[in-house]
Amino acid sequence: MNEIMAIWADWLKPSAGLPTVQWSILMAVAAAAGHLLQRHTGLPKVVGYSAVGALAGLAGFTGGAWPLQGIGLFLLELGVSVVLFEAGGRIALRWFRHNPMVLLQSLLESTLTALAVYGALRWMDVSPRVAEAIGLIAVAASPAVLSRVIMDMRASGPVTERALALSTLSCLYALTLVSARAGLLHRPVTTLWETLYPVAVVLGLSFVVGAVLALSLRMALRVMSPTSENTSMMLIALIAAATALAAHFGGSAPLAALLGGMLLKQLNPRPWAWPRQLGTAASLLTMLTFVMVSVVAAKADWSHAVAGLVAAVVLARGAAKIAGVVAANWGSGTTWRQAVWTGSAMSPMSSVALLLVQQFMTSSLTLGPRIAAIALPAILLMEVLGAIICTVAIHRARESSRTDIGDAWSPAVGDMRG
Amino acid sequence: MESDAPRAAAAPPAEVALEPFQQSAALSLGVELELQLVNTHDYDLAPYSEEMLRLMSRYELPGAVVPEMTSSMIEISTGVCTSADQVLAELSLIRDALVKSADRLNIAIVGGGTHPFQQWHERRIYDKPRFRELSELYGYLSKQFTIFGQHVHVGCPDPDAALLMLHRMSRYIPHFIALSASSPFVQGQDTQFDSARLNSVFAFPMSGRAPFTLSWTEFGHWFARTTRTGVVRSMKDFYWDIRPKPEYGTIEIRVFDTPLTVSRAAALAGFVQSLASWFLNEQPFMPQEDDYMVYTYNRFQACRFGLEAVYVDPVTGLHMPLREHIMMTLRQIGDHARQLGASYGVQLLAEDAEAGTNDARWLREKHQRERLLAEVVRQGAGKFRGPV
Repeated sequence: MNEIMAIWADWLKPSAGLPTVQWSILMAVAAAAGHLLQRHTGLPKVVGYSAVGALAGLAGFTGGAWPLQGIGLFLLELGVSVVLFEAGGRIALRWFRHNPMVLLQSLLESTLTALAVYGALRWMDVSPRVAEAIGLIAVAASPAVLSRVIMDMRASGPVTERALALSTLSCLYALTLVSARAGLLHRPVTTLWETLYPVAVVLGLSFVVGAVLALSLRMALRVMSPTSENTSMMLIALIAAATALAAHFGGSAPLAALLGGMLLKQLNPRPWAWPRQLGTAASLLTMLTFVMVSVVAAKADWSHAVAGLVAAVVLARGAAKIAGVVAANWGSGTTWRQAVWTGSAMSPMSSVALLLVQQFMTSSLTLGPRIAAIALPAILLMEVLGAIICTVAIHRARESSRTDIGDAWSPAVGDMRG
Repeated sequence: MESDAPRAAAAPPAEVALEPFQQSAALSLGVELELQLVNTHDYDLAPYSEEMLRLMSRYELPGAVVPEMTSSMIEISTGVCTSADQVLAELSLIRDALVKSADRLNIAIVGGGTHPFQQWHERRIYDKPRFRELSELYGYLSKQFTIFGQHVHVGCPDPDAALLMLHRMSRYIPHFIALSASSPFVQGQDTQFDSARLNSVFAFPMSGRAPFTLSWTEFGHWFARTTRTGVVRSMKDFYWDIRPKPEYGTIEIRVFDTPLTVSRAAALAGFVQSLASWFLNEQPFMPQEDDYMVYTYNRFQACRFGLEAVYVDPVTGLHMPLREHIMMTLRQIGDHARQLGASYGVQLLAEDAEAGTNDARWLREKHQRERLLAEVVRQGAGKFRGPV
């Protein structure tokens, strides 16, 4: 493939550079694959995007240099930020006051996930620091995959809403802890303050950027309609600015967007009408992140040893997420069965996890590659498999409005919600 | 109490006897309200009825909470009440429990006859054999039946008195529609109607009005002839604007849109009770079959124009503003309202009639200011959870 690209590059001099052409064609193929896959198999479109990205990565596609840098990294961060801003805007803090069990479900599933993955990797003789890093990365579910699946299935209901809220919170924890932990990878930590200080710095700086973003939008919404196309464009532009600034100040760009979304929801309780208006531009950006994640993740070195470790991570993570949600389900308003579907719907790992791996990569030349060697295949697997599990879970919970896809996964009569 | 939804009728032809008219205290009241469940993100309808029913079962409440046709609806009902005050007290208790349950699920409850911007094709039929059967029979109409009404039962001393009450009450159908109208928006558009909800009811067979007879025996013969055709199996298969409800010993008025507040729901029940008291105690007029010559026109006027409608007097043919006729009626029943303790609600309705304000107007005003139907729903949810 590289030879073909080299020949092509010799006689083609596109105005925006060859990588732009390569990525554009890859995106076009991914869009077609996603559509056709869903139409003919009922699988979520994101599986098609990921498959195309993975095939391109395995074929040696040169557009996804790892670790990510420059415009590629920025686009990934922007895609994640847009999704997390919207996901953060769905988190109403008053819900946790009325139903603290939901917050407990979130804390429990995240803690159990980190511990279970750490334990599984330690049991398989992975070094403590690598196991710890992967444990933290595994905490992050993927609101991006989940929201794409929800959109494709036109899903709504308690399982859907709760899975999205818990996934978003899991990203909040993972982004905070990893951003702080990555900086301390090679430093011996002696006191509690030394552990908490970087967490506070990352959270604080991200909060400041998120607050500026939220306040800017709050002011804009006083004079602009949320349904206006211009409001959507301004939203993306401001998130892009915040994304570029947050990391520069020492915070985390996706974390700033997530906190900005949460803060705006508190400041502006009016309905969020703009996600529908964000439309194709945001969808394209999100698709780009899925393709980019799989292109990059597919370049990881696979071996029997890695496959075993990946299987351990995926199984421990899946079991812990379900167990955490189920364990704190009592009194939370959903049934045990719904709790199982909620935990299952949180299976996907994608762009947020990749950004977390990237943070470890840039922080440590020695540990970073070892972490990536296990995490990247796990991310690729759980972007595809996770999306399928998520689709099945929502179907089984009977929260899809679409009847033309996934009939095979629909429950029999009498095996309905609850 | 039962659903507003029409029933399937696939049984083989067989004559079915009309069930006996049960005893009930004259002027006793029962109120049913169909309510919307919406999410708190974009305020679209949210399929949470099963979860709401589960949480509501933990409260000791009067009346009942039951599922409705689609899973974004829930129906509450009072027990048998003696006054509008009791209706208000019971509805307030149930409302408070509903709000608490909704808060736990991160959703909101809203009144109103329609959800302003929901898409009917996104609705899901509640998982219950009867609703599935209806869905198979009526196809998309069953999902378009995601509309929300208030039903008021009023106790009648005997079956003949119930039919007399029913046909007298028919003259006031436009009044009920105009005062309760709260469904101007459908599928994201202003329909220009104050009550667009009733247009959805018209699509079903067996809608409209009851046949004119003032004798329960004669009504029984008519019912037997109808059941012989196999088109209906029981009284529940008729979804007339007003229908007798023999198993409760009541007549049931079904044209009200669900109001935005329980206080308005109780006021409307007080209006019905006061009218019924006027009928029973003063026998002010005798209904005629010819009353129905202007019935459909008056009904349409009230649905379309609300309190600004024209009312055609069925006896004289005189055209007059409906508002004036409502105010005149409320004055006529004033003494009865006072005796029944319903005068506060009736007075509120009179003030609204005079000012030309109903819930449909409130919704339109909010939309004019906000330019966002989702925000109108959010403010409607705030209004529903208010004190009373």
